Amino acid sequence: MTDINREEMTVEEALSLSNQEAPAETAREAIARPDKKVSLGRTIVVTSGKGGVGKTTTTANLGSGLAEAGKNVVVVDADVGLRNLDVTLGLENRVRKHLLDVIEEKCSLDEALVRDRARRTLFLLPAAQDREKDDVPQDKMAALVRTLAERFDFVLIDSPAGIEQGFRNAVVGAKEAIIVTTPEVSAVRDADRIIGLLPPDVESRLIVNRVRPALVKKGTMMSVSDVVDILRLELIGVVPDEKDIIIAANRGTPVIDIPGSETGAAFRRIVQRLLGESIPIPTFQAADGFLTRLKMTLGLQRPDTRGG
Amino acid sequence: MPGTVYVITSGKGGVGKTTTTANLGGALAKLGRQVALVDADIGLRNLDLVLGLEKRIVYDLVDLVEERCQTRQALIKDRRFDNLYLLPASQVKDKESVTEDQMRIVMRKLAADFDDVLIDCPAGIEHGFRNAVAGADQALIVTTPEVAAIRDADRILGMLGNRRCRLIINRVRVEMVRTGDMLSVDDVVEILGRDVVGVVPDDEEIIDTTNRGEPIVLDASRRLARIYNAIARRLLGENVPLTNLSEDGLWGRLRRLVTGTGQ
Repeated sequence: MTDINREEMTVEEALSLSNQEAPAETAREAIARPDKKVSLGRTIVVTSGKGGVGKTTTTANLGSGLAEAGKNVVVVDADVGLRNLDVTLGLENRVRKHLLDVIEEKCSLDEALVRDRARRTLFLLPAAQDREKDDVPQDKMAALVRTLAERFDFVLIDSPAGIEQGFRNAVVGAKEAIIVTTPEVSAVRDADRIIGLLPPDVESRLIVNRVRPALVKKGTMMSVSDVVDILRLELIGVVPDEKDIIIAANRGTPVIDIPGSETGAAFRRIVQRLLGESIPIPTFQAADGFLTRLKMTLGLQRPDTRGG
Repeated sequence: MPGTVYVITSGKGGVGKTTTTANLGGALAKLGRQVALVDADIGLRNLDLVLGLEKRIVYDLVDLVEERCQTRQALIKDRRFDNLYLLPASQVKDKESVTEDQMRIVMRKLAADFDDVLIDCPAGIEHGFRNAVAGADQALIVTTPEVAAIRDADRILGMLGNRRCRLIINRVRVEMVRTGDMLSVDDVVEILGRDVVGVVPDDEEIIDTTNRGEPIVLDASRRLARIYNAIARRLLGENVPLTNLSEDGLWGRLRRLVTGTGQ
């Protein structure tokens, strides 16, 4: 089959194709018979509190990496009104319908999903650009995520910054969370705040992004162990700050596609860890100073969870 | 005559709104202005940390709005400057606890007492954004030369009505612009179609000063301190030419030494 023919395939065909090696029947077939128990994909919200720490980049790269590992993946842009996941994946010219169209039943899910060209098991559900976050009812969002989980192995939800309605919508259907932070006091403080706002049954893991080992060694940047010590989450990855990320972003390609990129390699390792492989995480030398200061401000803020 | 109320906004998060607010405020204060900084990021405040004033918060914006305190009780004086004050955000409330009208009233009061009021806007375009913008006369749009940041800046420009909007282009990496891996200032201006009031290079010194709670403008010898000072003077109407970033650094210094131009 040529690539051009594949382009014309519907989502269902694509899914059933890529499911050939997977257990017996597709999720879609199982849904058709309600007596059969549907195995649900993993639903993971990528969030941070603070903006600009790398949520969208993380979502795009983990989604691409998981698809490359043979998983059926949908990445959902929950940043209604300020979407960017489409740009990061280089799919912005192919967005026709969006999440709100699906929720408001103006189109089918398949009409809204944009299929990645390079990775045929990766799909994007774009956000509306001309609408507001308050337009998304939380129960409908939860139902949509559930529907996606029936069809995909992984549902990655790119959360907007902040802790308003957009954040609540992004979190509502997710069973797992990846908290992205950088080794900066304001990002760590916001991450701490967001952890306190996640439902208790959500399984949360931490990515420390934009680490500059040279600065950590000089003592002008917090180390990864400082951040983990403060936030007390399971660490799933450490991503170094390299300019490849800007190059990749401007080209509309995930950084895992940039040959020799340290940043890309770090994201690939996180993908493997998400799939259950045990791969050691590099950490950097500890630095004093900020830790005390941050702990004091956070201690004042959330004494209940700081103590034990 | 009442002072000018500026909102520092961006759409996208993490482009440098809070750092810009702190340093521009510091630079204006150093020029002899009476300056109030307002953290409008209720629930996710950070301006206090960047200024190193987090331990001195007693009352906050929400207290002031709900009339539990006087304006002067809520304002924290930054003792390192002559006339710089912070009105902190509440960390425990959410953005819906303040209305746009209440923000307008508070800003009008501050403008009566201060020359310049700088509002640090939260990321996004939700309630917190609308509150931050409500009482502002002018907007300073902070963006970085990246597609996502520019797209978001473009989106919020459309939500700022007929306010005067000027750009601060942040985190410019000259060597990446030169190699074609980063958009140039001219590119950004062409896309957004607004005047530039400042161009700030990407400088890792800012990470350190932010983590320590010491605005970089405190040390006048730093490159970024000179740049924020120039932006402050432009806001006050002075005609200060934009720093040519590529002339900065060793090569620029050499060139100036040789040709005898610049300072």
